[in-house]
Amino acid sequence: MSITRFNNKDQNIIELEDVSIVRDSNTVIRDASCCIPRNQLTFIVGENGSGKTSMVSSILGLLDISSGRITYNSSTDKELVIGYVPQKIEFPEHFQLTVTEYLKYSAHISKHDLSAALERVDFPESHLKQRITELSGGQMQKLLLAAELARNPDILFLDEPLSNIDQGSGKHIIDVIMEIKDQGVTIVLISHDWQLVSSCADCVICLSCTSSPNCPCKNSLSEGNREVLQITSHNEHVTHEGYCYVQNL
Amino acid sequence: MEEIFQLVSFPFMQRAFISCAILSVLLGLLGTFIVPRKMAFMADGISHASLLGIAIGLLLGVFPLALAIVIAIIMGAIVAALRNNPRITLDGLIGILLTTGMSGAIIIFALTPGYKPELFSYLFGSVVATTWVDVYVLCGLAVITLPLLKYFWRSLVLTTVHEPLSRVMNLPAHTANYFLYIFTAITLVTGVKLLGIILVSGLLIIPVLSSNLITNSLRKAVIVTITLAILGSIVGLIMSFIFDLPSGPCIALTLIVLLLGCFVVNTLIRMNKTSA
Repeated sequence: MSITRFNNKDQNIIELEDVSIVRDSNTVIRDASCCIPRNQLTFIVGENGSGKTSMVSSILGLLDISSGRITYNSSTDKELVIGYVPQKIEFPEHFQLTVTEYLKYSAHISKHDLSAALERVDFPESHLKQRITELSGGQMQKLLLAAELARNPDILFLDEPLSNIDQGSGKHIIDVIMEIKDQGVTIVLISHDWQLVSSCADCVICLSCTSSPNCPCKNSLSEGNREVLQITSHNEHVTHEGYCYVQNL
Repeated sequence: MEEIFQLVSFPFMQRAFISCAILSVLLGLLGTFIVPRKMAFMADGISHASLLGIAIGLLLGVFPLALAIVIAIIMGAIVAALRNNPRITLDGLIGILLTTGMSGAIIIFALTPGYKPELFSYLFGSVVATTWVDVYVLCGLAVITLPLLKYFWRSLVLTTVHEPLSRVMNLPAHTANYFLYIFTAITLVTGVKLLGIILVSGLLIIPVLSSNLITNSLRKAVIVTITLAILGSIVGLIMSFIFDLPSGPCIALTLIVLLLGCFVVNTLIRMNKTSA
């Protein structure tokens, strides 16, 4: 059992220690300890209701944790820049914001850089003057991704980034994700696409592996291709059932 | 035409025009965010609830607008604090505030002896009721609100689009929300004397909905909203003066006519696109 990765602050951009999350008096996450390694592509997987979104929300600061600690380790003196692309946004119907205006307000993208920012995510330039409420689900995700990429994040959270995107664009988005990872951005991806997990993941945090004997994690990642690390707190002898940390070698 | 030029020379009309112009700019800008957030009912609720402050002011002989502003700040802060509480629906919360304010006000009016002529002007608005003190209060409000709006503009835009995303961007989403709800409440209350408790929310809501019919960007929507609000309130005031009617309903009906005009323009544009 190795917990060196967990204890190495330089390698981990975010660390969760004994984190519990309670929502409406239900404990969604109990004493979870795991880490997100810097400059790697980490997948958060698990069955519906296993707490993926709650875990990500708490890391993003959108949801208070009831106990434990989340540590953000910036490699510089500056605060971490966190990017986030939610799976689905319901834009307010009567808000007259155009694609251009959204990019301007969210990422300060100037008129000159608009084309490049959109081209990067395969978003048609002809939609620049379109209202964001008129975009399809896939176009919306691409727009959000373009804006987040332009903010130059240290770590980027993507919630099911391919769920509304056609196959051709999906491949392009994956290429972009791998490209920005190579440029030093840490990527965290929530996904149910096990093919994607097995082909792209550097690390996997599974939230339903131990509790569910039929967790797809076991079938989708070949035995020789994973090194299971039980997640522990500072006490090495304590393990937290329900969470396992898989390193995709 | 000569009659219209003549009415500008009256001091009470000058006060009314200045007040309307300031109110139109402020409510047009604030309404740009309130209406898409489906908070239009908040405007109605707070303006009605502010009657409590007016009632207390009239009972104690204190400047009623000051007490109404205090009530508005409290109401706006309550809405901002409890807006996302999963156990309280927003419309239910606003309904509670409205009922509390109105009930308290009616009881105080019932306990206040004598005839209350001011009550009618507070309910439906009056051109002659606006004093220079009211105008100065509005000017002061504009001096505070406009720079704050500029400061919070990006936060308000992105919080309106998606609040969690704006918080991840480290924008002051909570502070921006408190600013929006509290200053909308204050602005509505300062417009009560001119437009009336029942109709002041119209100036916040109708121009925004009208501009949505004929614009397709935030920048254009803001410009058209303010223009329509100024046009509607000034024309409404003139109608109120000419036909000797309460100013609130005249302004509200003029805004409705402009809304219908925008609807016609919108239909023509769509028909044109379909045929092309």
